[in-house]
Amino acid sequence: MNSITAKNGFIPERIADRIWDSIKSGLILVDGEGKIMLWNDWIAQHSGIPAEFALNHFLGSLFPEGLTASFKVALKNVLQYKLPIVLSNALHRSPLPLYPLPVTQHMQERLQQSIVITPIVTGEEKHLCLIQITDATLSINRERVLKSHSERLSQEAITDALTGAYNRRFFGERFTAEFGRAQRQNIPLSLIMLDVDYFKYYNDSYGHPAGDKVLISVARALKSQLNRPTDVVVRYGGEEFAVILPDSGSEGSQIVAERLRAAVSNLNIPHRESKIADRVTASVGIATCQPDTDCNMACFLETADTALYSAKHGGRNCVRHLLTSDCGRPCPPGTP
Amino acid sequence: MNPLSELQLDALTEIFNIGAGRAASSLSEIVGDEVKLSVPCVQLYQSTEINADILSLNSSRLGAVKQSFNGPFHADAMLLFTEDRALEIVHDIMNSQVGVEDVAEFEQEAMCELGNIILNACLSSMADMLDVTLNSSLPVYSVGTAEVVLRQIVSESPSLMLVLHIDLNIEKRHLQGYLVFLLSSSSLQKLLAHIDRFIAGI
Amino acid sequence: MPHRNSIKTLLIVDDSRVSRMMIRTFVLAKHPHWILIEAASGDEALEIVDRDTPNYCTMDINMPGIIGTEAAAQILAKYPGISVAIFSSNIQQSHQTRAAALGAKFVAKPVTEKSVAQALDFFECKT
Repeated sequence: MNSITAKNGFIPERIADRIWDSIKSGLILVDGEGKIMLWNDWIAQHSGIPAEFALNHFLGSLFPEGLTASFKVALKNVLQYKLPIVLSNALHRSPLPLYPLPVTQHMQERLQQSIVITPIVTGEEKHLCLIQITDATLSINRERVLKSHSERLSQEAITDALTGAYNRRFFGERFTAEFGRAQRQNIPLSLIMLDVDYFKYYNDSYGHPAGDKVLISVARALKSQLNRPTDVVVRYGGEEFAVILPDSGSEGSQIVAERLRAAVSNLNIPHRESKIADRVTASVGIATCQPDTDCNMACFLETADTALYSAKHGGRNCVRHLLTSDCGRPCPPGTP
Repeated sequence: MNPLSELQLDALTEIFNIGAGRAASSLSEIVGDEVKLSVPCVQLYQSTEINADILSLNSSRLGAVKQSFNGPFHADAMLLFTEDRALEIVHDIMNSQVGVEDVAEFEQEAMCELGNIILNACLSSMADMLDVTLNSSLPVYSVGTAEVVLRQIVSESPSLMLVLHIDLNIEKRHLQGYLVFLLSSSSLQKLLAHIDRFIAGI
Repeated sequence: MPHRNSIKTLLIVDDSRVSRMMIRTFVLAKHPHWILIEAASGDEALEIVDRDTPNYCTMDINMPGIIGTEAAAQILAKYPGISVAIFSSNIQQSHQTRAAALGAKFVAKPVTEKSVAQALDFFECKT
């Protein structure tokens, strides 16, 4: 007779045993009194208690530390009401003294467990109770991977792919937030706009791949000059960068702006088509919104743009500063 | 529609109140604090009548824990609640334990367990009071927009729904939800027959 | 024991008619001559107590209007001689402690022959 095939629809016992032992989660079957009838390999390995010792003993007596109250109540309820019970890892952690492999004699942290207890109806008065234990560590790890993945994705959503600076989308969010904070806390806020001089000529002369390299170098140089984590560099568009300087007034922002201008120049990237220098340079405009001045975001951005325009017309490779109150025309109150 | 007599409704309400008491007691053991759980009233609807307005579940996302049970009558027992409020409670419980990681998969399992506690308490109370044996599947958790979750419920063969409003207070948080029993009219008749037998036995 | 056979008055307070019926049935099975009065709310119970002054009272907790523990507190403050058993499906410790503080007996629902017997034992011990 072929021992593999089921006889009359039943799997022979020794095959069934091999199946239980092949299952990669813990299986314990107890009778109505709590006496152990099945103790698979997984449980034997993770508890350090072989099946020969476990079978026909009571679950509680096998574990010297005893079972947790919630586990005992759950087992009792399943036997009494014959309704299945979930013991989630989140709320129970490690109800049974099971350990990660290899199990050592030393103080080891218990395995993270997810447990399901189901009644097994036998047709007789007393029901059996199947306890299934899965290793929740796997879920924790999988979740960690997914989480770091989604964090990376969200990082990608706010980063400019070429330069690694923040993108325009991020700028919109951060600038709005910082502007609101400056208004609420009555502190100054400065915004630097920086444009690479004669960049179009550079591209035409050296090619776009070389132009891309310049942008990458400029972004890196700008970042290197900022010390506070709240100061952020944004690729505003094309060859234009923006730097948000929270809690920085006219004086501080001009010092930073000058450092940024010098850093670009000090990259010493040759630029034969530049009309003002032999290397890549940048023009810098700053707008500062002082506390207690009437200002709105549109006006703020416009002022920074005006300052940059003024730097371009003032000979390039220089810094120009404006206060938001220097705004060309009065800002309509209440405009966003 | 309400073909249930006042006495039948009263008996059902009492059964569920006792279930709610058991559930609150189990939950308070987990939380380590007092839990208030009340089931003020039972109503009967046609499943086609059910929508988000009737249940006044206006949250965008609903969580549902479902167990199918059978015995002298069959039904799908479901706990419906607004997901964000339930998550707050799960987070509170998890945070009150040392070293618990904020893991979404665990939240779902924890939701399953909370639903399981409430559903089992109601089923066991029903089994005790009506002196019947009920078997149940394991709980399954699903989550989605109110529309999708309710449509799934209604799309199952036309049936009746016993709807119980649930008020749960855990650790200063308040959660409203519904306990819904979806059952065929023949199962409802069998349930009512058991209730009548129970009332007659008093 | 003469008090066993004497006629006592018991007020049953529960918003569930089924619960009142069950308590009535189990009490009458043991004490067929007792006079049983029913109230469906705490407020109704307070009125009845003023009018009829029962010997004993069973009190549900979760009811519309004033809750059972509050009604029991008011009754016991006014009539310390009435023995009160608080019947509740809410078996958490806090409720049991509250009942004990009032000098009342806490009995866990469901209403069964056993739980009613617990209340009756309490009444008869105190008498």
